[in-house]
Amino acid sequence: MEYDLSRIDYTICGITYPDSLKILPSLDEKVQQKFVVGDKNGVLQCLAIKDEEPVVQFKTLPGRPITSVQLGCSSDSHADKTFAASGNEVKGYTRKGKVFLTVSTLVAETITSMCVIGNDLILCSGRTVTHCKDFNEMTSFTCEDRILDVAAFNAPNSTRIRLLLLIANKGTAIADNGHLTVQTHINSGPSRLAVPKSIRPSEICAFYGAANGSIGLISYNKSELKSKCLVDGQGLGSVMCVGWYSNHVGAHLIVGRHDGSIQLYLTNPQNYEDKLQLKYSYFCGEPITSICGGCIGSDEPEVLATTFSGRIFGLRPRRLLSTAAILSNIPAEALATRRLKLENEVARLEKQTANERDKYQKNTRSLQSSLSVPPLLDVQYELEGATKNGWQEARITSPVPLDMLFIYCNNKLDLETDSAGVLSLCPPQNEKSSDILATIRCQTGTRRLWIHMRSTKNTTIIENIKVLIYVLPAGAPRVSRLFKFCLPMLPFYWQHENQESLNIRRCLCEIHVTGTFSVVEVTSWLSEALPGELPRPANSVKFVRSHTLLNTLLSCEYERGSAIFKSDNISTIADLKDIISNCVVRKGLKININYDISENCCAEAFDIIEESFITEYKKRQEKNLKESLRMLDLDSSIENSEAKSFLCSDYLRVWASPDTSDETCFEQLVYEMEKWYKDWCKLSSNTQFSSSEFKVLHQSLKNCDTMAVKSIFRRNGSMEFVEKV
Amino acid sequence: MQISTVQPIFKLELSHKVTPRIVIIAKYDGTHPCLTASAGYDKVIIHHPHGVVGGRAQRSDAHAEVSELNLSQAIIALAAAPLKEDCTRDILLIGSPTQILAYDVHDNSDLFFKEAPDGVNVITTGKVGKNTDILAIVGGNSSLIGLNGKREEVFWNVVSGKVAAIIPFDFDKDGENELIVGCEDSVIRVLKNNQFIIELAETGPVLCLSPISDVRFAYGLANGTIGVYEEGLRLWRVKSKQNVISLQWSGDWLACCWTNGRIDWRDSSGRVVKRVQLRSNAAGMLLADYRSVGVPDLVCVSDRGEVLGYPPHQDTTGFNAPKKFASEEDRLAITELMNKKQALMVELQHYEANSTSENSTFDIGHRPSSAMPTNTRLQVAITTNTEEGCIQLAISTNNETIVRAALILAEGVFETGETLAKHPPQGQLKPVLFIPLTPPKDVPIDVHIKALVGYADSEQFHIFELTKHLPRFSMYKLTDSTIKNITPGNVTFRITERLQRIYIWVNQNFLLDEKIELENEVQDLHLSFFCLRDRTQLDLEFSTDGQVKFKTDDIRLAGDLIQSLALFLNLTDLQVCVFFILKLYYIKLFLNYYK
Repeated sequence: MEYDLSRIDYTICGITYPDSLKILPSLDEKVQQKFVVGDKNGVLQCLAIKDEEPVVQFKTLPGRPITSVQLGCSSDSHADKTFAASGNEVKGYTRKGKVFLTVSTLVAETITSMCVIGNDLILCSGRTVTHCKDFNEMTSFTCEDRILDVAAFNAPNSTRIRLLLLIANKGTAIADNGHLTVQTHINSGPSRLAVPKSIRPSEICAFYGAANGSIGLISYNKSELKSKCLVDGQGLGSVMCVGWYSNHVGAHLIVGRHDGSIQLYLTNPQNYEDKLQLKYSYFCGEPITSICGGCIGSDEPEVLATTFSGRIFGLRPRRLLSTAAILSNIPAEALATRRLKLENEVARLEKQTANERDKYQKNTRSLQSSLSVPPLLDVQYELEGATKNGWQEARITSPVPLDMLFIYCNNKLDLETDSAGVLSLCPPQNEKSSDILATIRCQTGTRRLWIHMRSTKNTTIIENIKVLIYVLPAGAPRVSRLFKFCLPMLPFYWQHENQESLNIRRCLCEIHVTGTFSVVEVTSWLSEALPGELPRPANSVKFVRSHTLLNTLLSCEYERGSAIFKSDNISTIADLKDIISNCVVRKGLKININYDISENCCAEAFDIIEESFITEYKKRQEKNLKESLRMLDLDSSIENSEAKSFLCSDYLRVWASPDTSDETCFEQLVYEMEKWYKDWCKLSSNTQFSSSEFKVLHQSLKNCDTMAVKSIFRRNGSMEFVEKV
Repeated sequence: MQISTVQPIFKLELSHKVTPRIVIIAKYDGTHPCLTASAGYDKVIIHHPHGVVGGRAQRSDAHAEVSELNLSQAIIALAAAPLKEDCTRDILLIGSPTQILAYDVHDNSDLFFKEAPDGVNVITTGKVGKNTDILAIVGGNSSLIGLNGKREEVFWNVVSGKVAAIIPFDFDKDGENELIVGCEDSVIRVLKNNQFIIELAETGPVLCLSPISDVRFAYGLANGTIGVYEEGLRLWRVKSKQNVISLQWSGDWLACCWTNGRIDWRDSSGRVVKRVQLRSNAAGMLLADYRSVGVPDLVCVSDRGEVLGYPPHQDTTGFNAPKKFASEEDRLAITELMNKKQALMVELQHYEANSTSENSTFDIGHRPSSAMPTNTRLQVAITTNTEEGCIQLAISTNNETIVRAALILAEGVFETGETLAKHPPQGQLKPVLFIPLTPPKDVPIDVHIKALVGYADSEQFHIFELTKHLPRFSMYKLTDSTIKNITPGNVTFRITERLQRIYIWVNQNFLLDEKIELENEVQDLHLSFFCLRDRTQLDLEFSTDGQVKFKTDDIRLAGDLIQSLALFLNLTDLQVCVFFILKLYYIKLFLNYYK
């Protein structure tokens, strides 16, 4: 934390979508720059800051929500033009706010990201990339999944343009002339790109920020597309936006996250693969949607950010602030005047709101009943796939401060929440019910909250777990928004793998479903089973996902009338079979389910995870040991005294190890292994469930006797092998 | 919402672990403060930057300015005060599970040693009542002992629970200190002249108490609540996930130290102004002039032995930070104003959107998912349910809208947390919802009700909020007074109040369907109540001649009733005759069993 920046609030706009604020380059001598921002109300405004007060340069009328804002490429004549996307349309604005261009694409989906290079416009909407050459001639192509972000590069020695795409669940790819030439998979789920300003024009290289919070670099060299993770997520929120901030030290990558934090990382322009140095971090409490660097309020560069709810603020070096008046040419009274002005405005608003509130309340006393239809609260939620310990995270973001959340679930759940909330479990509604009710009371000013959910172990789940969350805001619209969602039955399968990963020798079990059903139907079955978004229905769909904890794979391949699911995890196959038959029964469809279970699938799958099983076992042993050592109340003087000799070196190492590595998922692993055995006995024709054998398995798992586990899993497999001979 | 952090003015390492809550600062030579703490099971460490402590205390290997004192017993509590006559040096008091040792660190001599058969939980020092000596007050498992420097017991009293915190405090402003005692049974009591004069019912076991000014003191509970009382009235309280370790009044702010190592400063309304986070969990926070500059600093100690000092806040100069600039203050104010503006704008937009939609009419089949008739109102009634043995809240709307869910917030009423919720299944949604309540104790409760009202298929519901006051004895239902009460247990006493006042007391403290009214002055008042908790009967008999008889077998209930009545009638002294033959019989049985 080397920089000391402090926050200056400039103005408020409507709710903003990611990447909808841009700083315009300065044209003449003047150093101070203007910026453009587009919001959900469809208003695009260009602002300059004078004495910390925003001065509107131009402002459009409200319209369709603006989902992305881009500037012309810095090297050509369109440098000062602004492009704003709303719906499937893009409008180009001059510096004066005149519309000089309107382009509408043929796809119905909303444009979520775009880039401009020369006279070319590249638009991404859903799975489609539209290339608009010279702002009129359009060509488009589709990818396997949604396109999250795009960057354009000039091809060497030609006028062609190469695109670097981030494709949801697939990783990154390079598109040349409408064809994906190279593709590479990135596990962390990159979502935003930032191209360094000082690369050679033909080079392809960009930093990415990912959903798991990590930051990395994608580079394309000698027809090889590589990615490298530079900073781990470290529990930070997922990246919403990335940008650049340059000062006398160098170029910094700025990262804005969903958890409301902003980080400044110094990059090394000589070698972008160098470790990033964290220089500054700020926490604002609500998701950051756009972030840029430039000279806004003074002649010194500062960071400019927008939040989800529409706050626009700068982070300026404090050094400048303390000597404020002299350096940044701000008359001392200007701030006081601004404050006064704002105070008056708030007072006026308070009065107006009080009037409206009165009117609203009068209505409730009137005898004539009319309908009151308040607009829906703009609250968003996201549900993540399960972590190694089985926790699934739901993230709630609100433009207004929250007061309380009320959670209802028809099944027993383990719950955890943010430090910003106090979780309180309510007594059950009646003794027999298996449902759960809980409330989360939020700290003042909370606009973002996560809830971790996990189905309580050893409860058999017959139908999928429905969760209802009622969001109660703290402020005046006294309305509560309801969210309903289902927790998927196979929450661990959220990481995407490429098709090739199936080729590595694994013993796959298979279910083959045939009958009269559509691809949409299969998608609906899978939506009950798998977390995250599924590929959109097409003629035939193929994808592979991996289990977060066990690393087993699940391959889904389906088309009209036929679906094949393969996995080396027998429990997955068993669960999927149950889910599908449940769905089918509910809808009254007629289908055939054939399954093919390889007898030694458990044994082979266990071989693969054996190593991590042993590591987890050791981790847990060490954790227990550490707890015991801690109970001895050894004091820290032990490290430099003769007392050291009391403990063996192993114990000393354990004792000194940091507390952070204490988390183990050994219990979860044991649970999964036992489930394997049960499902194996259930599905396999040759194996009978024996409770004595199960007890042996349980004991050997607990004691990490892998040989014994293997011999149980291999029991019938080896017999069959003999038969075959 | 911007909360700034503070830089410490001094920092030091003790190089020892520190047991949370067992940290004090004492002047063993009469002038220089020494940080003293328990470091593990039976070890006391003394930090002495101003000179060496000799005697039994051994120089620590880990830190040159720290001495260790090894005892053979677990250390439960530490305290220090100049107990010795004609001597200003602090004597160290060490409380172990069964005894108290007073040790003169400077002289290396034991002042006294005393058995504590009731255990030791907490030791405080100070002047109490008319005594001119400084006393050591020891809180045990159910008792309170005052000791002077000569090992003499000055007073002794019984408390209904494990004592967790004691402070000497002039509660009634008569120039003499009373004792404020915080117990595990969630009650803060004031002890004056060996009598409890005030009981303040709280919502959780009391963990710490701290004086703020002549009339105010702060308290912290095991459920994470902290708050401030002024002359027996609660000014504010806030609840946190963490437990409080210590509360100290520093400068014009209340500093709170939480178990997870967070320290925050709060202004007079409880709002957080500054915040810092220690590198590990907190062990203690004290006020002491550790730098010898004439003003006490806030000394924070973490469980890893890290010590940080913060100067008291003063409004004019800010913290130790260089002079605050007007511009920066303006900026903070602007951020705050922007927050306000944003909230107002959201509200305004809400009304605007609502009024535009009012003009358009909707088909009945196409009711929007957030609609509700404008004249919907919510009614709440409190009744008792004898079969279930509970109080029942009936929440209902005045039209066809349904109560989707109801949240009841009340402290100390629900076993699992601070809320009770009802969420009927989709098929059983009605305009009325019943919620059973069973307060475990006889204390007045404010229940906050949040009801979500709309239609069964709504996506957004309207929140109706209401607060209902449950009187102290709401778990007793008025029944037919002609039923003979055969309960042998009773209390009798005599008062000199008109019956009219008794009627008021009953109306205020019991949950009655309709108020009872005085018919004529000469008739005795006889009321029978049905206890919803244990289905027993309670009879209150007030004769016109001032004779009062409460018939119940529940000693606690009888005590609560008398306390409540005495408080209402402003009685400071009341002679009561008690008759609980059954209870006595049980105690006898018990004693015989253990003989």
